[in-house]
Amino acid sequence: MKRKVQLTKARQYKGIIVEPEIREFFIGKVWSRENTPFSKEKIDRYIENNYFKVKPAISEKHSFFPFFNKKYICNRCSNDIQQEFVEFECARCRKICVYCRHCINMGRMSSCTDLLVWNGPSEKFPKHHILDWNGMFTELQQKASKELLDSIIQQRNHLLHAVCGAGKTEILFPAVFHCLQEGLRICIATPRTDVVLELFPRFQKVFPNTVIHAYYGNAPKQKGTAQLVIATTHQLYRFEEAFDMVIVDEADAFPYTYDISLQKAVWKSKKKGAPVALVTATPSVQILSKVKKDGWGYSFIPKRYHGHSLPVPRFESLWFYERQINKGRIPKKLALWTKSRIEQGEPFFIFFPTIHLMQKTAPLFQQIHPDILSVHAKDPERKEKVMKLRNEEIPGLLTTTILERGVTISNVQVAVVGAESKIFTSSALIQISGRVGRNVNFPGGEIVFFHHGISVEMDAARNEILRLNKEGFQ
Amino acid sequence: MNRNEVKNCLLCNAPLNSQMDWKRLFFNRFPKVICQECENQFEWCLHEQDEEVVSLYYYNEAMQDYLHRYKFMHDVLLSKVFREEIYYNLKNRKEMIVPIPMHPEKLKERTFSHVDELLKEARIPYVHLLEKITTETQGGKTREERMNTPQIFKLKKTVQVEGKEILLVDDIYTTGTTIRHAKRVLIEGGAKSVKAFTLIKSGFYK
Ligand SMILES: [Zn+2]
Ligand SMILES: [Zn+2]
Ligand SMILES: [Zn+2]
Repeated sequence: MKRKVQLTKARQYKGIIVEPEIREFFIGKVWSRENTPFSKEKIDRYIENNYFKVKPAISEKHSFFPFFNKKYICNRCSNDIQQEFVEFECARCRKICVYCRHCINMGRMSSCTDLLVWNGPSEKFPKHHILDWNGMFTELQQKASKELLDSIIQQRNHLLHAVCGAGKTEILFPAVFHCLQEGLRICIATPRTDVVLELFPRFQKVFPNTVIHAYYGNAPKQKGTAQLVIATTHQLYRFEEAFDMVIVDEADAFPYTYDISLQKAVWKSKKKGAPVALVTATPSVQILSKVKKDGWGYSFIPKRYHGHSLPVPRFESLWFYERQINKGRIPKKLALWTKSRIEQGEPFFIFFPTIHLMQKTAPLFQQIHPDILSVHAKDPERKEKVMKLRNEEIPGLLTTTILERGVTISNVQVAVVGAESKIFTSSALIQISGRVGRNVNFPGGEIVFFHHGISVEMDAARNEILRLNKEGFQ
Repeated sequence: MNRNEVKNCLLCNAPLNSQMDWKRLFFNRFPKVICQECENQFEWCLHEQDEEVVSLYYYNEAMQDYLHRYKFMHDVLLSKVFREEIYYNLKNRKEMIVPIPMHPEKLKERTFSHVDELLKEARIPYVHLLEKITTETQGGKTREERMNTPQIFKLKKTVQVEGKEILLVDDIYTTGTTIRHAKRVLIEGGAKSVKAFTLIKSGFYK
């Protein structure tokens, strides 16, 4: 009997005509069964006909040794940190159900909800593409770009270690172009929405007849299946075995090494054997040792594209700054620094370790100049405020670490208040310093770490910048 | 509910101070699940109470965010956030605690009853006396529509309310329609008195 059922199923598989809309939507994605743009009946019919693999959102793993214990795994975001799973009495399945808090912002999935993975015919991508770019590479860019391309051709992982402002986006063009011409599907993933928004138009311009989509939280719906996807790493949760190459660009974003489940999402989103290229200005020790051990390709650009060295941070003590701010005073050195930026007409960023401290200080800065604004992660006007600084409508911005990467403003000067705070790791400080002097016309500039005692991380950041400068000018 | 004890703020994920808090231990209080900064965002409204309806907090931005995550994003774990406050406000009430029920279909959709979970986490015993008979929610309606809604509750079969003093519990008090409807059914069933308690009070917040 069972056999017979399967046979009819196989016949139906051939019988049904796949709607391109459904295929385009689901290819390479993992998606909640209950929440699709198509009717339940339609989805059920496709499932019956084997067009989807269906799996529960949360899996359980049992181990009997050394103890009997249960371990949950989220099949959407690959999270397996047990503290992030919540058990509850579910009124739908009437059992103890489990959900993953790690990816709850994408809509809660629990043990009794199903994920769909496309199992039907896959998409054929065009092989004819145009690369519309006639910029010039520096010698170092040229070399790195060729090394990356070689790695991709050999399906080998690659680390592109490039200082902030090395012109890494252009370095990617030849490798991306090569893959497109092979009819391959590519993803460029970055932890930050700002970076997606910056890269998207650039790639659209350079690859004018390629279907490119940008994915980030609340992105508008886009038509068709994109051969080139530019996405935040969070959006990668939605993909499974989708890409023939993944480029993770963390050079201008929050350390992707920070979140293990994001790394897993990268690995889940690519096809088996597909290469990953990691672009970063501050590779972790683990990554560097992996590169060595697993024989990754490696390129190193210690020099900015304009050939000038990286501005080296200056340390300035700002003793008891917190106490002073709490008393309603801006520490003198900081006030002087700010005033002299305004006098010289130089735009500036001042970084704070917490929103709280920043908001306390903001009105004090406005006594120096009424147009000084502040931004933080949840600020809905973030984009507009940065725009105002760029257009020279305001003299400067106070910010939390949110602006540490990804924002390029010509001739910007930077101060970090409380540089000894824990949140300012050496890689964060290197990235912050990297905001300064990116423009060829203003390659220098101020980067000051105001502190209440120099931290090991501050010292490490400064030494690394000095080392990079030395390597770049040998 | 969570497999391990809560180590990070359930709302902002900041690490919680895990220092031994003797007072908490001694009085057998609930362990903290949100940080001080998040706690400060919520706004008490205990100073403008009337006898009939007690509400704990205003529906300010932080509370809107909380309710969204708990009730609509279905983060059941957040039922722990106000358990201590609910416990201290309800533990000495003499009335019978009766949660506002959900329609069975709605319950299946949400997978949990948000009011019941609040009470469970606060270790407050409760009984269900009412049944919801409409699936519509009060949320999307104009004030006038709410006022003119026909019956939304009925008494459960086999329950006895005669002479009982009852305290209704709901998550949010907006126009009072829900409470008024529930109260009417209970009084008609013979209840001696019906008062209400809600976590949040909306509408009067500027
Ligand atoms: Zn998850
Ligand atoms: Zn369930
Ligand atoms: Zn918090």
